[in-house]
Amino acid sequence: MPLAPEEVGEIREILGREPTPEELAMFEAQWSEHCSYKSSRLLLKLLPTGGSRVLVGPGRDAPAVEVFPGIAVVFKIESHNHPSAVDPYNGAATGIGGIVRDILTLGARPIALLDLLYLGEPSDPHASWIARGVVKGISDYGNRIGVPTVAGDTWFDSSFNRQPLVNVACVGLAKVEDLVGEQPRPGDLIVIVGNSTGRDGLLGSSFASKPLGKDVDRDIGAVQVADPLTEKLLIDSLAELVQRRLARYIKDLGGGGLTTAVSEVAAEFNLGAELDLDKLHLRTELTPLEILVSESQERMMVVVEPGKLSEVERVFEKYDLRYSIVGVFTDNGRIVARFRGRVVADVPSKELARPRAIRRASRPPAEALNGLTPALGLPEVSIPDSILKVLSSPNVSSRRWIYEQYDHEVGARTAVKPGYADAAVLKLDAGDRRGIAVKGDANPRYTYLDPFNGAANSVAECFRNLVSVGATPVAIVDELNAGNPEKPEQFWYFEMMLKGLAWMAGELGLPVVGGKVSFYNEDHLGRQVKPTTTIVGVGVVEEVSNVATMDFKVAGSAVVVVGTTFPELGGSEYLHRVHGLEVGEIPRPRPSSELRNSSLVLELVRRGLALAVHDIGLGGLGVALAEMAVLGGVGVEVDLGRVPCRGCLRVDEVVFSETQARYVVEVKAGDVDEVLELAGRMGVEVSVVGRTLSSGVYRLRSGGAVAELPLEVLRSTYLESLESSFR
Amino acid sequence: MVRVAVVKFPGTNCDEDVVRAFRELELDVEAKVVWYKDFRSAKWDAVVIPGGFSYGDWLRAGAIAARTKVLDEVREGVSRGLPVLGICNGFQVLVEAELLPGALLPNESGMFTCRWVRTVVERPRGPWLSLVPDRSRLDMPVAHAEGRYYVDEVTYSEISLKCPHLRYERGWNPNGSTYDIAGVGSENGSVLGLMPHPERAVGVLTPRGFNPGGELILRSIALSLRKGW
Amino acid sequence: MSYVGLYRVGVIVSYRRELRDPEGETIRRDLLQRAGYDRVREVRAGKYLDLLVEAESVEEAVRYVKEMCSKLRIYNPVVHSLEVLALG
Repeated sequence: MPLAPEEVGEIREILGREPTPEELAMFEAQWSEHCSYKSSRLLLKLLPTGGSRVLVGPGRDAPAVEVFPGIAVVFKIESHNHPSAVDPYNGAATGIGGIVRDILTLGARPIALLDLLYLGEPSDPHASWIARGVVKGISDYGNRIGVPTVAGDTWFDSSFNRQPLVNVACVGLAKVEDLVGEQPRPGDLIVIVGNSTGRDGLLGSSFASKPLGKDVDRDIGAVQVADPLTEKLLIDSLAELVQRRLARYIKDLGGGGLTTAVSEVAAEFNLGAELDLDKLHLRTELTPLEILVSESQERMMVVVEPGKLSEVERVFEKYDLRYSIVGVFTDNGRIVARFRGRVVADVPSKELARPRAIRRASRPPAEALNGLTPALGLPEVSIPDSILKVLSSPNVSSRRWIYEQYDHEVGARTAVKPGYADAAVLKLDAGDRRGIAVKGDANPRYTYLDPFNGAANSVAECFRNLVSVGATPVAIVDELNAGNPEKPEQFWYFEMMLKGLAWMAGELGLPVVGGKVSFYNEDHLGRQVKPTTTIVGVGVVEEVSNVATMDFKVAGSAVVVVGTTFPELGGSEYLHRVHGLEVGEIPRPRPSSELRNSSLVLELVRRGLALAVHDIGLGGLGVALAEMAVLGGVGVEVDLGRVPCRGCLRVDEVVFSETQARYVVEVKAGDVDEVLELAGRMGVEVSVVGRTLSSGVYRLRSGGAVAELPLEVLRSTYLESLESSFR
Repeated sequence: MVRVAVVKFPGTNCDEDVVRAFRELELDVEAKVVWYKDFRSAKWDAVVIPGGFSYGDWLRAGAIAARTKVLDEVREGVSRGLPVLGICNGFQVLVEAELLPGALLPNESGMFTCRWVRTVVERPRGPWLSLVPDRSRLDMPVAHAEGRYYVDEVTYSEISLKCPHLRYERGWNPNGSTYDIAGVGSENGSVLGLMPHPERAVGVLTPRGFNPGGELILRSIALSLRKGW
Repeated sequence: MSYVGLYRVGVIVSYRRELRDPEGETIRRDLLQRAGYDRVREVRAGKYLDLLVEAESVEEAVRYVKEMCSKLRIYNPVVHSLEVLALG
């Protein structure tokens, strides 16, 4: 987005003269929404970011949280929505590249990736083309750099047909003592390492800060080709630099390229910089302006104290990486760039790095009433048919077709793999029995109908998914995907999502240690996509062999429901797939129930009383039971009359309601009494609702039979629906 | 102390996994990652060429790595009886370097696939399979896009009669390999290549319903190097 | 409707010249240059399709293939260049 006239005026005031073209480009890149967060910075202060385990909070390229004594997890989320709309393959691939490099800046080893994809309807050819490209891009890039994509989520909705949301997260591991982050000093050298700089990605951040153009093919300036081989060499060489303590500070060259990297460090530490643009290793001849703002991929900035330079150079040469020493930090607070002896830019670093934040106008649109209108008068439907319909929904059915394209085992850490449980579990080093769990969640339909409660529910869902495997949730990061912040009726969704996220995170005691905002997600007709809050969370696992997966293990166990069900069909997958409606009050967030119920579940897993655990989410109890039965190959029979439900008047409310804070737990028959007693003491409502069967059948009854389906049918529906919807 | 080199090319990404697997099993082996520029076969008792995407798998998987000086060193080592294991990309490199027969083509599905498979070992021989009984089932995960093994009929009959090899169990072939071949060894078994990843089939990494098929292979080499085979 | 002849048409999809081509660069640097074939100045890699097409004439076959490549996104015009060759 080109600078607004007021902004140009401000720049004139800051400099006390007309800006040079190079300076203008630097401001345009740095002051873009994508880099500066000018529309969101004020509201982001609402987020709870502190906690006893937080080592590095928001402000650095990635946050760090202590998970075990002396061991830190560094994790972050990022979006690459706009590039993925134009070149899905490279857009998604370079998104992975960027997020991994952010983890590297703290000196951490990247050990897991998560992909959270919001794509159009599979039947739409353009959306399908985007989906395939995105998955292949993530697959090819993640597989090559050797970081396993272990978890994720996909959501399919027509609002994403032309503009997908591609959120990617990376988790890294580091010893606390190895975390990089000394204060850079005047005299420290600025070294750029990685791919040579070219004309690609020119003003890409500016591109991400405006709506998609009608003529998509002309947006080529913002497209970048991914090079995972160079990325892998960066990962390896930086690991060596970190291990040998050769780097003072590390930063990724992402949005805004060289300008942003240098200005952000300078502003943070009250420094200036002298840059010699001729020194940067280039692919083709570039103008100084292009050198300053190019966003060529796979480049990083390493700040090196002069005495260590030759050792650093030897490491880069060992890995056949190109590098150049482009300048030095100074103490005068100004960034001065020279090209062929001529000064082309001379700007104060603090003013460059920090445009004034704007408090945008915010107003709910008439559409927002959809979320306040109860969904009533639904016709009676066949429950077994509805179960199959919901199970076959691309939002519910197995993602096997996708995750089998990702190497989710590389790194030899993935103890609980995709498809087995509600979260992935990664073990620490060899011989170490400890691990971490990771998961990502969002529900665009919820946040579209009710952005405050929808965002709150996404936090809760992530929390529950970590608890389901037996992990104690420790921290989250968020990505807020919204429309045009200059349109009050679109900004309103952003504001409410943020407030809901802040509220729920606070209630659950989950620090939001980092996050990103992606605005301008609208198509060329100015329609925003469904606003979406993606939450990625990390949990602690004390003993990796004592985790819970969701497959029913054996016939003859008791099936227990934890938590109370309410008649909450509003915004549910059932309502959409079976009745074609997207209305209604979405399920209420229930923070105190989440805390109580999760304590019980964690205790059950710890004591070995839970044979299987699954949180109840999309599709309600009916779908949760089906998933557990299909994955375990074990039948199940449940009496809906025994499901604790306050105010349910209809069978479909019990089966498909998406009430929060609930789990299904498989318990050995002989352990039921202990479980009930424990629940009683902890004030949690539980009920034994049925049992697992030796016959391959899925049966729900309520007095008489409500649904009876052969496991084989459920299995093929669940496992094959996603792939067939793309054919 | 027996020393195993785990060779790392630009783009190799399973090197540390192999080292860690030896440590996880507490085997008496000094396994070290060796950067390709530093590899000299004479310094090592055994060599592993691990999985990954050497040189980005550009041109063809393993094609560029196979033409480096490293493989000259490996070839020289093999002529002296040095045990060499190629895992996944390593198998591709060995085949491209013609140290093992056949070729590895793109999967039949045209897609990358990552999943656990069951394999059966036939005619186990040599240092990498010394603890593995004939016809035993070793489960391991595969993760590859170019794993479809191809070999002509004549070569296959020689392999099946004379060489140790691994086959995907019926119904478990993930890529359309001819004759269901998952791995192949030289006649005396000193050189062995396989698409599945033994380093990922160890301990708690093994999912329900599968056995930790990598453990026997790693234990075999540790024992063979100390006691002979 | 039946056409008069069968024509072979080649399709080459590669990255546009102004963009990077990591595959081509790696082949040149790590395979060719290392092995001493340094007279090769540039390598660009691409995907090649060999098509047999029913058409009235070779020009028509080429037109048909161009339209097909465009409609089906066989190449992404944002990043790829397309060459369609009449092979006979």
